[in-house]
Amino acid sequence: MEWETVIGLEIHAELNTKSKLFSVAPNHFGDEPNTNISEVCTGQPGSLPVLNEEVVRKAVQFGCAINGRINHFSKFDRKSYFYPDSPRNFQITQYDQPIISGGVVFAEVEGTEQSFQVNRVHIEDDAGMLKHFSNFAGVDYNRAGVPLIEIVSEPCLHSPKEACSYAMAVKAILQYIDASDCNMEEGSLRFDANVSVRKKGEQALRNKIEIKNMNSFSFLELAIEAEVNRQIAFYEKDPHGKILQATYRWDPEKKETVLMRRKEKAEDYRYFPEPDLVPILLDEAYIQEIREALPELPLQRERRYVKELGLSSHQAFVLTYDKPLADYFETALDITPQAKALCNWLTVEFAGRFKESGKNLVASGIPASHVAELVVLIDNGTITGRIAKSVADDMVAHPARAPAAIVAANPDYQPVNDTGEIEKLVDQVLAENPQSITDFLSGRDKAFAFLVGQVMKMTRGKASPQVVNDLLNAKIKHAAK
Amino acid sequence: MANINEATIDSLVELSRIRCSPEERKRLTHDLQKILAYIDQLNELDTDGVEPCCHVLEGTTNVFRPDLVGKILSRKTFLDNSPQHTGGLVRVPTVIKT
Amino acid sequence: MMHQLSARALRDEVAAGRLSALEVADYFLKRIHALDGDVGAFLRVLDARVREKARAVDEKRQRGEPLGKLAGVPIALKDNIHVEGEISTCGSRFLTNYKAPFDATVTRLIEAEDGLIIGKTNQDEFAMGSSTENSALQKTFNPWNLKCSPGGSSGGSAAAVAARMCPLALGSDTGGSVRQPAAFCGVVGLKPTYGRVSRNGLVAYASSLDQIGPLATNTDDIGLLMDVIGRHCDKDSTSLRWDAESYALEGGIQGLKIGVPWLFLEQLAEEPKKHFMAALETLKSLGASILDVDLSILKYSLSTYYILATAEASTNLARFDGIRYGVRAPEAKTLEEVYELSKEQGFGAEVKRRILLGTFVLSSGYQDAYYKKAQKVRRLIIDGYKAAFAQCDLVATPVSPFAAFEMGVIKDPLQMYLEDIYTIGINLAGIPAVSVPAGFTTDKKPLGLQLMGPVKEDQRVLTAAYAFEQAAPFAREMPPLKEVK
Repeated sequence: MEWETVIGLEIHAELNTKSKLFSVAPNHFGDEPNTNISEVCTGQPGSLPVLNEEVVRKAVQFGCAINGRINHFSKFDRKSYFYPDSPRNFQITQYDQPIISGGVVFAEVEGTEQSFQVNRVHIEDDAGMLKHFSNFAGVDYNRAGVPLIEIVSEPCLHSPKEACSYAMAVKAILQYIDASDCNMEEGSLRFDANVSVRKKGEQALRNKIEIKNMNSFSFLELAIEAEVNRQIAFYEKDPHGKILQATYRWDPEKKETVLMRRKEKAEDYRYFPEPDLVPILLDEAYIQEIREALPELPLQRERRYVKELGLSSHQAFVLTYDKPLADYFETALDITPQAKALCNWLTVEFAGRFKESGKNLVASGIPASHVAELVVLIDNGTITGRIAKSVADDMVAHPARAPAAIVAANPDYQPVNDTGEIEKLVDQVLAENPQSITDFLSGRDKAFAFLVGQVMKMTRGKASPQVVNDLLNAKIKHAAK
Repeated sequence: MANINEATIDSLVELSRIRCSPEERKRLTHDLQKILAYIDQLNELDTDGVEPCCHVLEGTTNVFRPDLVGKILSRKTFLDNSPQHTGGLVRVPTVIKT
Repeated sequence: MMHQLSARALRDEVAAGRLSALEVADYFLKRIHALDGDVGAFLRVLDARVREKARAVDEKRQRGEPLGKLAGVPIALKDNIHVEGEISTCGSRFLTNYKAPFDATVTRLIEAEDGLIIGKTNQDEFAMGSSTENSALQKTFNPWNLKCSPGGSSGGSAAAVAARMCPLALGSDTGGSVRQPAAFCGVVGLKPTYGRVSRNGLVAYASSLDQIGPLATNTDDIGLLMDVIGRHCDKDSTSLRWDAESYALEGGIQGLKIGVPWLFLEQLAEEPKKHFMAALETLKSLGASILDVDLSILKYSLSTYYILATAEASTNLARFDGIRYGVRAPEAKTLEEVYELSKEQGFGAEVKRRILLGTFVLSSGYQDAYYKKAQKVRRLIIDGYKAAFAQCDLVATPVSPFAAFEMGVIKDPLQMYLEDIYTIGINLAGIPAVSVPAGFTTDKKPLGLQLMGPVKEDQRVLTAAYAFEQAAPFAREMPPLKEVK
């Protein structure tokens, strides 16, 4: 049975303004509870909301960046529900007239560039935070009233990988326009996925499950994967069954989606226009100004890397869709123009070294100039590629140490350049391995590699492989005569 | 006209979290029925094509403020008004994680 | 006697040094303590605070600094208007322990002009009512007849001014709650153009209808207070972007065209009709002409109001849940109980009724038929007034179908709502309207004349009221209260 996955992603991004959306309290994470509050964001009776102009600007910037339609007229609505983290027991959001409609996000999915449709983007205020203790809960309103943009995709994502790539691409755009800290651990970027499956060719959408609490990209992918499998298993067991709409959360320990609550009936939020606020009316001049002032966006940078630096599309995507990494790369590029080599060190060599620990190169404390220096040292023959790998290991262990210094301090890293020395070792290896010579001459290329390996072992990897190759070749040819 | 019965009141009570005694529920059902019967007169009016009035200040748009931090409510003042608080947090009974 | 002086005259005495602010404060505090036992206008008298502020005004004058426009004038505030650090109950059990964490904009403006806030007055709970009988805290009685209601919801403020316990007061008007008590108590009350006075620090009942309005014993004093509080406020997004205006009121009404919606007033009883007609004659004698205008659309104003106001109120009052402030039901064990029991115990019957109605008209399946329909009818009402004002400068009606009724007599909620039939349309249209004393019934209960004008014509409305008042000075009469030595 061929199943198709249908995913819609709702992304909530906290905007990094100085003050909150409707309140003049500071918009800042991590402070003592209930210290970044005002009468507005704690819902004091008699308080009134006043819209932060910077929020509108950042929302429009994002809308331009995804080529969405910036609606000239938009307004706010009250959304009623009761929860302790809500200071007024209604949220101020945009219901039927959001600031942005439509839009496209480009992302690379497993090597191929794809485009994904956005349905809408709207502005709303965040709720406070509930902290759970053994026999009570505590509410911190620091986060209440923080400005959010909610980015809603069309249900056009058809695999966990697509959802992940799309999410990363949205994050990259937000970072490039500096609209949000995009810190998933701190909660300034949050994802809710709506997941359903259907038979290939089926037109209608089946009931969807909402998944929350996925605060890393790998969790996002795993959670959706797990949920898709769960739904397929359900339908295969009960082909005419109906999945009841519900909300699940990702449990990283159990590695499965766990039921949070059922949606027996749709919540009646009783949306109606917010009477304490007046509508937003934007003109083309305002929008054009913002559009023209947009910085280089991820896709533009990707194209530039391919065109001007000769990187492959895949390499360019990997770099550019991680802004800190792309910035790091360009810092290194200022020192050496070896784009391909740098790219390899960043995205393969160092990335691999940090994978285990879950950290990353940019945050490691290794300056970009050091990576550039490493490439330069290889390029000018000071060290071999193999030695460079060991130097890289040392750099990871001691982020502050520059490669040149590491090489200078470790005699094992001094390359053996004395051809005479190497020649002696080549002679020795050839003398000790007559069978290999014979094997090679009768067509076994592996034997040659073995001989090279033996010489390299004796030089403890410090000889230039090229030099060893040339010498072995010359000597074997000479011996064959 | 909408038919208000005790089931309607029950759902309104749930939505607004206002608990009522059975006598109150009866009385409220009766009151709301009467008021809605009066309000029914609005159906005499043909409002096809009439623009709903969302804001009585017609034409007022774009009331913004600059992105600046202003006067903060002190935690002490905030918590002094709260019925229960612990460790700087407003305290409520255990909440099922949703 | 100080209580017979207008606010402006008092202020002049203080500015000239003939009276000290402290003397004035003490005088009125004495009156309050002597009379309020019978009237019940004040929930809280701010003795210490007002004396401290009065001393500061006196010190300012001694230093030779210029004094503000309200220097030394005692002013009462309805208990839904915040004074930082003081309790704002809004007439509700829910907020008996709630200390306002910030000053209302009007409070700041008054104190910046050296006004003395002397106390917080009683009201219908959360401004929902037309008689102040819905206060959960105490009863307020009409100084003209202590068996009768002072009107509502700003009954305390109106009674305080009527009894001359202070020369000025602020109330809030959502459907007539400043004008109707003003009429019942024989004082002047204004509901300004919507957005003219900041709502920052006014506990919201219905956001698109609420306005803070002044009450005084004469129209000139209304102008004095409006000059101070009628300012743009950047903490209120619905505040008019409009400079403060002049309240020079002596222009007269020669040539003014005053419209009367006779069809709409068909049901008016004999006695109020008689006084209304007499008032129209007075206006004619001052040079105005009276013409008939069509405001039959106002027949639907009550229904429209009770949909829109309750819808907004149901969400404005959702925040009262016993969590962040207010009284939390002590026996609540679960979160749901915190919400339900706190609301059950904290809210009175009228508030519950309106919250449920408001929830209903917004709820799924009913919103189109009720809320959205009411928004459209509101448009028709606005257009109705516009059409009328195309033919005349002001419109005149009585304030209320009858004079102050006895407490406890009106038990049917709908009957109480019908009280506001002449005042409610004004809030729906956001236009300014004033209630000015226009006579007395045979049993000596005050009646009010209501004058309304187009949006932003507050000065013209007050000019007409001023002219009327000069010719027919009913407001100069004082209620039969005991003498305070």
